[in-house]
Amino acid sequence: MPTKDRYQNRVELLQGTLDMLILKTLQWGPQHGYGIIQAIRVSSSDVLQVETGSLYPALHRLERQGWLASEWKQTDSNQRAKFYRLTPAGRKQLASEHQRWTMLSAAIAGIMSPQKEQS
Amino acid sequence: MNRRRRNRELNEELEAHLRMAERDRLDRGQSPDDAHFDALAEFGNKGLVQEVTRDMWGWTSVERLLQDFRYGARMLRRNPGFTIVVVLTLALGIGANTAIYSVIHAALAPLGMPNADRVVMVWTENAKRNWHQFPASVPDYRDWQSSGVFSSLAGVSDGGFNLRLADRTERIDGMSVTPEFFPAVAVAPHLGRAFLPEEGRAGHDQVAILSDALWRSHFAANPNIVGSTIVVDGVSRAIVGILPPSFPKFEKEELYTPLVFTADVAADRGSRFFQVVGRLRDGITLAAAQQRVAGIERRLSKQYQEDTGHSVALQPAEEAVVEDARALLALLFGAVGFVLLIACANIANLLLARGTSRQKEMALRAALGAGRWRLCRQLLSESVLLALIGGAVAVVPSLLAMRFVTSFGIDELRNANLIALNSSVLVFNLALSFATGILFGLVPAWQAWKTNVGDTMREASRSYTGGTQHRLRGLFVIAEVALTMVLLVGAGLMLRSFAHLRSANPGYDVTNVLTMRVALSDQQYAAPEKQAAFFERVTREASALPGVATASAIQDLPGSDNMHGSGLLRPDRPNPRPEDIRIELTDCVMPGYFDAMRIPLVRGRYINQADTSSSTPVVVIDEYTARVNWPNEDPVGKQLKFGTKKAPRRIVGIVGNVDQGILVKLLKGQIGQAYTPASQVPSPAMTLVLRTKLDPSSLIPAMRALVRNIDIDQPVFEVQTLESIRATSRAPQQLATSLLGSFAALALLLAAIGIYGVIAYAVGQRTREFGVRISLGANRLDVLRLVVRQGIVFTSIGMLAGLAGAFALTRLMSSLLSGVAATDPLTFAAGAALLAAAALTACLIPAFRATRVDPVVALRCE
Repeated sequence: MPTKDRYQNRVELLQGTLDMLILKTLQWGPQHGYGIIQAIRVSSSDVLQVETGSLYPALHRLERQGWLASEWKQTDSNQRAKFYRLTPAGRKQLASEHQRWTMLSAAIAGIMSPQKEQS
Repeated sequence: MNRRRRNRELNEELEAHLRMAERDRLDRGQSPDDAHFDALAEFGNKGLVQEVTRDMWGWTSVERLLQDFRYGARMLRRNPGFTIVVVLTLALGIGANTAIYSVIHAALAPLGMPNADRVVMVWTENAKRNWHQFPASVPDYRDWQSSGVFSSLAGVSDGGFNLRLADRTERIDGMSVTPEFFPAVAVAPHLGRAFLPEEGRAGHDQVAILSDALWRSHFAANPNIVGSTIVVDGVSRAIVGILPPSFPKFEKEELYTPLVFTADVAADRGSRFFQVVGRLRDGITLAAAQQRVAGIERRLSKQYQEDTGHSVALQPAEEAVVEDARALLALLFGAVGFVLLIACANIANLLLARGTSRQKEMALRAALGAGRWRLCRQLLSESVLLALIGGAVAVVPSLLAMRFVTSFGIDELRNANLIALNSSVLVFNLALSFATGILFGLVPAWQAWKTNVGDTMREASRSYTGGTQHRLRGLFVIAEVALTMVLLVGAGLMLRSFAHLRSANPGYDVTNVLTMRVALSDQQYAAPEKQAAFFERVTREASALPGVATASAIQDLPGSDNMHGSGLLRPDRPNPRPEDIRIELTDCVMPGYFDAMRIPLVRGRYINQADTSSSTPVVVIDEYTARVNWPNEDPVGKQLKFGTKKAPRRIVGIVGNVDQGILVKLLKGQIGQAYTPASQVPSPAMTLVLRTKLDPSSLIPAMRALVRNIDIDQPVFEVQTLESIRATSRAPQQLATSLLGSFAALALLLAAIGIYGVIAYAVGQRTREFGVRISLGANRLDVLRLVVRQGIVFTSIGMLAGLAGAFALTRLMSSLLSGVAATDPLTFAAGAALLAAAALTACLIPAFRATRVDPVVALRCE
């Protein structure tokens, strides 16, 4: 119980990015928590391993903010799971976060590799 | 809400996650066991994930608080001994406070008038003549009325009425008021109407207004009663109104009649017999009003000899009604507050000791990532939980204490019927419990705040003693001792003054005397001869009752609230200036009064049957009057007169002094008392005094029947034995004494436990040291001295602080003391001695234990 502060700190560190990754993953259709982790792992070529202690608080928070909706459904392998999907508000949020991310990463890239611009 | 369902759902969601992860691994060809454990390992701590996820749901602060409480409850259950001690200590402390709060809440209940701060009492003051809050005369009242300061200014005079009912006549507390009274109070009758202006004039005044309580108890709450007639003091009066239940009560009045001024009193500035209450005109401040009325009074005091030296004081009515109770209430509230503080100090000490043993738990939690705030909050929750339980248990002692207080029936404590566990008292109890929990909980919380993970963990095997903590515990003990010292001195003073009141010889014999009052109605017994004849017949017939030794009567018993003072003048000397005239209490008595009361005759004779309306006017004085007015002469045979215009009376006897009651004692110390024959100066209201050969109360039915047979309209009331009257007059002192005494005893016990705890703890900590000392040859007495010295240091500092505090605080209670000064050295010394003895005992127990330390064992145990 007491160690949860540690998790919270990490969530904060990743927060904006993790939210965007979740929203992006759900753009392709409803998915459950486990599926989201797998999808992020696979599409990042095993670089990003999202921890459950970060994912589930994020999912529940995003749902509370109205960007996600959830329902219980059966998976292909007949397992009952909670599927999350984007709401229209979530879609808008994803668009704005995506835009912000593009700007931010371009800016960071400019700082990190200035030679390219000179050449 | 659906919190539980959400929890279940979250659990299921995470379970599903695990199962999917497991299946993937199985699909990849792992063995079932490996798949299971790998999935679990990858998932991490499920409980933790649940908790951090729940945090996202919002309103978790409440849930976390509940969690803290649940955890606290577990801790308390695990230490039942500790919990019970603390809860009981708190129950007594909080219970006492709750009870006293309910008493104060009732006694200080506002009068319930609209814009109550505009309603004032108008008092006459005369510093030179030692008049404080004196009643007014009609001409003064009229002059104040014309000042333009008041929108209504009323005269009120409280007393009682004889109300005739179907089968009997009953004495009802009541008030005569001028018609301005109801506009001044500004609360209208809820049935009927208030008095009309013309009903304040003679001939138009045969009306009455009933209180709600009287209407319900005696008229079955019949709304048609308005307009019908009742017989009050033998005179028919029309009921014109019924007051709402919330109508302000100044005393105990239930029945109101118009106050009508007869022509002779209306012209007499010296005749002061009623109180004045008024409502300030809009837009004028109290200070400005005070100045205006004082200006008028200054003019009057120059213009009229009767008003020489007078001034006027305006006092808010709300303040006036609670004034008498204030000293008593402040004393009790202070005492219970101290008891609670002592209890808090004790509990804080217990928690400190326990906190030391919980240090490792705290360090562990801190190491696992719990923030300081979290730890403090956890500990505070535990303390508050303890206090809340204590507060709930406190309801029992508080109810007992409330019943105890009301059983004294003290007049000064208004609205005794409101003393109960009502909602505002419960809110107070809850708030106090909460505050108490925070107060003593700050200590362990502070301790946790200071916890240094590294240090504590490193010292894992050794018990940890903080120097600061020990100093803090010492500080608590000093505070406890100081508070207890103040309480002990306060209780000691009350005890001594109560003992003084009790043992003081009243100057008469209180055993086997039955008293009862008869107040003849003015209308039926307007003629003084008729009044005298009535009482002569009653005493004559009463003397013939079996069991009655002597039957007589006096205008007002010694110590009664009704006092009649007159200026005593010597016809053989020139009249002194008005402010130098000595006031003498005068009462008329029937023959046999001194025998019945067993008031000794010093010289001359008593008043007897030979003193009639046609014989020489005579008077009997007490020794005090004789000594003060005729210092070196024999007054018997000399003359005196009461008031410049009155006829001289011949002094025929000197009798012993009697106790004139606390009121006189407090105001003046002592006043002379003179007795006139009722045959010469009749009074319509007398108190019958019967010395009996049997149990006095056995004669009550016979006496009631006797008076009823003579005149059914004249009820007897205030039927009491002289013994119980004496006891009642001491009730406030008795209440203060018994409450303060028990509070002080409780405090002493708590302080002793506190000292014991600290010293015992210190001894426990130093066991090894003592072992070393003893093995090196230290005398056991040296060890004893070492331990006791520490206790003595704490106690002495605390006692010195306490004595200083007591010196400053006890003077506030001087109005409740009699026969003992607020700084009585004997009481201070006795209190200090008692406390020192208790403290020493509390030190000696652990000290003896220290001397029995076996050096070998002590050294090995580390």
